[in-house]
Order: sequence, then C-alpha cells, then structure tokens
Amino acid sequence: MGTSKEQASKDYADFEEKVKRTIYIDHLSPQVTTQVIKAALAQCANVVNVEFIVNYTIPFDIPSAALVELDDHIQAKAAVELMTDFPFIIGGMPRPVKATHAKAEMFRDRPPCPGIKKDFRLVKKGDDEYEVMMKLKNLAKKQESQNMALIKHLLDEEKELAKQQQEALDGNTKKYQMLEIVMQNGAIKNLAHRYGVSLDD
Amino acid sequence: MDGNGEEIQFSWGKLRAKGGAKMDTQFYESFTLDNVKYSLYDCVYLFKHGDPEPYIGKILKIMEQNQVKKVKILWFFLPDEIQKYLRGPVMENEIFLASGDGTGLADINPLEAIAGKCTVICISKDKRNHQPSPRERAMADYIFYRFFDVKNCTLSDQLPDKIAGLKVSVLLNPKDEQAISSPSAINVPLNPNVDEGLATTVPPPHSAVKEEDESPNAAVPLSQPAVMELDANPSATVPLSQSVVKKEDRKPVVAIPLSQSVVKKEDKKSVAAVPLSRSAVKEDEKSVASIPPPRSTVLENNPEHTQSQNAHTGEKPPKRLKLSQEATVKDTTPAITEKRPLELPSRQADRSKWFKIPWDERLRMADEQGTLVYIQNLDIQFAAADIEELVHEALKLSCTAKPINHPTYDDPNNGKAYAIFKTKNDADVAISKINSGLVVGGRPLYCSKGLLKVPIPKSSGTFVGHLSLNIKIGQKQREEQKKAVSTSHCSQPNTIEYDLALDWMLLRAKQEKKFEILHKRHKDDRKGFANIGGKSAKAGK
Repeated sequence: MGTSKEQASKDYADFEEKVKRTIYIDHLSPQVTTQVIKAALAQCANVVNVEFIVNYTIPFDIPSAALVELDDHIQAKAAVELMTDFPFIIGGMPRPVKATHAKAEMFRDRPPCPGIKKDFRLVKKGDDEYEVMMKLKNLAKKQESQNMALIKHLLDEEKELAKQQQEALDGNTKKYQMLEIVMQNGAIKNLAHRYGVSLDD
Repeated sequence: MDGNGEEIQFSWGKLRAKGGAKMDTQFYESFTLDNVKYSLYDCVYLFKHGDPEPYIGKILKIMEQNQVKKVKILWFFLPDEIQKYLRGPVMENEIFLASGDGTGLADINPLEAIAGKCTVICISKDKRNHQPSPRERAMADYIFYRFFDVKNCTLSDQLPDKIAGLKVSVLLNPKDEQAISSPSAINVPLNPNVDEGLATTVPPPHSAVKEEDESPNAAVPLSQPAVMELDANPSATVPLSQSVVKKEDRKPVVAIPLSQSVVKKEDKKSVAAVPLSRSAVKEDEKSVASIPPPRSTVLENNPEHTQSQNAHTGEKPPKRLKLSQEATVKDTTPAITEKRPLELPSRQADRSKWFKIPWDERLRMADEQGTLVYIQNLDIQFAAADIEELVHEALKLSCTAKPINHPTYDDPNNGKAYAIFKTKNDADVAISKINSGLVVGGRPLYCSKGLLKVPIPKSSGTFVGHLSLNIKIGQKQREEQKKAVSTSHCSQPNTIEYDLALDWMLLRAKQEKKFEILHKRHKDDRKGFANIGGKSAKAGK
C-alpha cells in the first residue's frame, strides 16, 4: 500500500505539472475547433493538446471553453498574459477570448489528490448535527440557485452588448454602403455641386 | 491451434479428447484468450450484447466444432436475478450456483463471449467442500453456498450430488489450501475422456498427488479434479477451487490460495505472492485479464480501494473491442478485454481511462435506466476515484463517478459529480441515504436523479457577440468574409473591432468581479454557518 500512495502522489504531481502548463480558454465560439485553436496560439506557444469542456451543469447557452495544454509553463504564462493584455480574437469576430491558467478542478480526468480528507458521517434525525446539516444543505442549495441566477443575468448582459454592437455595426454598414453607391453612380458629383463643396477634399 | 485471429489473441491449451455426436468436436482443457488462460471449471464473466451486467459462470466444457469455438457454461445467479425466490439475508458478494435441470442451468456459448476471469469461492460447510481460509474468502470476488434449482425455482444450501452431469465435488473448492512456497507439483495423469468433458480424472481424493517431477509434493491433495497440466514444472498447487493449477512456464508458483485462478504465469515471472485471483496478467501489454483483482492483495496500485469486488461498474452499451491497455497503465490491475458482443467494464475506478464507451453516452444510458445520480456540494478537489471510494465506503455500493469539470462559472464552493450506479435500486438507495444526511468533511451532500437539461451547443449557431454583416455585395466580398472568420489575431488599436473588443473585455471584467463577490459571500456564509452549527452542537452537548 505504500507504493500505491507513492504512486498516487506521483500521479498527482505529474498531473499538477500538467495543470501548470495548461491554460483555460473561455468565451469560445462553438464553431471553434482544435485546429483553429492550434493555429491561433501558434504565434506564441506550441499546443500539445486541446480538450473541450462539455457543459453539464449550467442550463443556459454558455460559450464554449477549452483546456489547452502547452509545451511548458513559461509558454503558458506568456500566452495568458498576451490574452489578458490584448484582446485576442479567435475566429475573427470581435468578442475576444478569455484565458486564465488552468486549475486542477477543471480537469475531468484528474487523479485523486493524495491526502484529501474523506471522512464522512451519516447523520440521522436525532443527532445534534442534523439540524445544522439540514440548514447547511439548504444554504448550499440556495447559493447554487443564486449562482445560476447570476450566470443568467450575466448572459443577458452579454446579449445586450452584442445587440448593441450589432446595431452599431449595421448602422455603419448602411452608411458606408450608401456612400459607396453614391460614389459609384456619380450622384456625388451632383451633390458636391449642390453644396458647393469641392470633390477633392 | 488457431493462433491469433483478429486482434484478440487466442490459442488452445491442452487437448482433451475428441467426441461429439459425429466425432467432429474437439474438447480442450484450456485455452488462452487475450493472454489470459482459462481452464475447465474456471469461473468467468460473460457479457451479453446489450446487457449492462455481466453474467458469471463456470466453464464446464471447452470445445471446437466446425471451426466454431464454444464453451459450456454453468451459471451462477446474482441475487437480483432470483430476487423473487430469495428468502432471508444475502451476504455481500453472494451468488448462487445453478442446479437441477432445465433452462438456465447451463448453456453453450461462443468462446469469445468470455470477458474475463473471476474468483468464486464456495463456503458451504459440506464435507465435500474444502473450507476456504478467511484470507481466501476475503480475496474472492464472490462467494456461494447456496444452490438455485432452476426447475423448481427453489434455493437450497444442500449440495446436490450432481450438477449438469458432473459430480458436484468437481465444482467446489479444491481441497488443498497451503500457501506453500515450496513448489509442488500435482500432477495427475490425464485421462483422456472421449466424451463429454467430465473431468473425471477426478483424482481420487487425496491421492493423485503424483509427482512427475522431482518436485516435492506439497501434499496437495486435490480432491478436485485438478486436471493438472503436466508441464514438468513444479508448481505449487494452489488450492484452486476450481481451477486447474497450470504451469505455463517453469515457474515456481508460490502457492497462493487462489480461489480460482489458475496461477498463471504468462511470462516468466513467478507469480509470487500476488494472490491474484486472476493472475498475473501483469505488465503484459495486452494485459487483459480479468477483472477485479482481489481486494486486499491487490496489486499495489490500488489506493485505498476497498471496493467490494462487486465487479464492475459497468453498464455499458454494446461493445466494442479490446480494451486492453491503456487503463492499466501503471496499475497493474488488469483490464478486461472486450470481446465481440461484449464490453468490459473497467473495474478500477482509479483508472482514469473510461473504456470505449464515452462517458457522455454512458451518462445518457444511465439516465434512461434510472441509475444516474447527480451529487452536489462536494469538495471540488475530489477526483473520480475519491468519489467512488466515498460512495463505496459510505454506502457500500459501487459506482462509477466523474466530477464535473469546474469552469469559471461554477460556484467554487459547490462541487458536483455524476455517479452511475449498477442498478436502479442501488441508485435509489444511494439517493435516500445521501439525502437523509451524508456529511462529507463537514459538507452535507445532496443529490438527485437524472441528467440536468443542458442545451447542447449548436455548432452551427451564431455565437453571442459574433457579429455578422448583411452585405449584399458581390461574391468576392463574401469570400473575404469567410476568410475573415477564420483568422485569429490580436486586435490592434487601429481597427473598428478593437473598440468592440474592448467593450467585451470590459463586460467580462465586470462579470468576473460579480462572480467573485458572490462566491466569496457564499463561502463566508458557509463558514459562518458551520461555525454556528458547531457551536450549537457543542452547546447542545
């Protein structure tokens, strides 16, 4: 059993090392694939592995996320810094991705952390602690729903922003289009003449 | 005989006889499938296509007819299967041997349906049955002492004289028990039987210890017909309850009281001390093997796993192929190979490799079967193995579990996991127990059944924040547009999109702050609560 503990610690140490070199990228479009991520990061780091995170618990439409394993933790640090200082855009559209260092809990297949306390007790109605436990449980449930509510709220905000931007963009497009047309069909000459403005400006 | 076909290694062992109605059937005593050796009277797992649970059976005959390899299996029943007729308490790991006559007693199956070996010890007090030592008992995957008559559908603990035409003594534990280190060979002359495999070479009880080699006989009086293989190897006979001590290579086998296995040494390793119920398939790449290594022993690598050898955690939908490897990795715990109609469960929870069937599918399947439980309020540090172990210790049930990855949105105070139990019943029991007050490290867990409804991200859908232009300009523009979508870059401050991007970043920063505040508040609340709780408990006392 001694060896198994050692083994477990070793596993965990390996795992932690992997965690150090992995970055977590959020706010990805669902269309983004491994290839895209690799290409995107090629400028600053060499990507070893990409693992997309499947959303199991949040009942809303949240953006995709991925765990990207890089060559070493220096690259990871550089990548994260790059992406926080400048808006890094993957996939060409204005919503930049967010990158942070990965944390152990983000990995699904993680080896057990040695030394975690796993004591448990079965508490029954008559016990002293029962009341407290029930309250704690309710608290946890409440917090969970608060969390969800916050998430929903944030998602809504995001939608707002997106809408705003889209509208602005549309407006601008129309403007430019109009200009384009006017230029093309020579109406501009007439207008210039009308307003007494020289065309060469 | 036929060596390896397909990807699964196979070879015949000792030839036994020829027989059958048309004299076209070849009987064997043993065979090796995927580097695991199986012999007559070994207990094995078989999987049926579509069934989540494996069946356990004892090999009565091994044969080949017209190029088709078959085995005749005598079935064991799981408590669930005969629930209707069960009276009284059922022991942990207890299974029931089929007896009597009729359907359900024994069947002929394709050899490839075998999915691994297991150890089944008989603990009946009958004198024909060699009493297992407590150690053997602990190491066995299953135990049995009762028989289920398939014709009358009754349970009995009286040993019948014959089952499936074989003397019942053949099917029980072998007499000998010594965990001897001195090799001894028990060589029993084989009687080629030209008919149904009766291992009639039932060496007269206690005798048969005939040495062919000079090896000292450690008295292994096998009452069981060890159809021993004479390989001129000393081998400590391992008191096999049903198997034959086989010596593949010249290896002194430390006699390990194996209840069922064949002490196998695939490569020249002395299978010392590893009371493996299934042998050694260790470090064999392609280690296949059987399933649950006996509890205690286990091979190093089993951190605190005290899983009750309740086999697998499997519920897997059909099949696939060889599992082999991967999982085992450093674990020397053997993996189970999958054979055609079957699939293999991975026994050890700490193998992070989930064979073949991707977790997602299993989640869905489990949900349909009602065996899926969603546990919340765990410590987020817990890994899959921790959870499974916890469930095992606390609830005495086995399951497979995976914690949910913890993306940034999730509350760091509240860890979640999905657990798949073996049966719906298990799941229900687990839920009621957990909900009624299981506290782990100060956190009360709660759980519910089923899968959360989570919208599947539409891969073609538009992503919030990704703007699209409705330009009706010529083709050329559109292509450029397309290309534009796939470029990734760091935005420079001289483009329109920079402003847009900045807007997003601002929003994001705000969001993060909000989450931070909320989560922090949660944490403090919890602490406060726990403190109050603690105090009141103390006060109460």
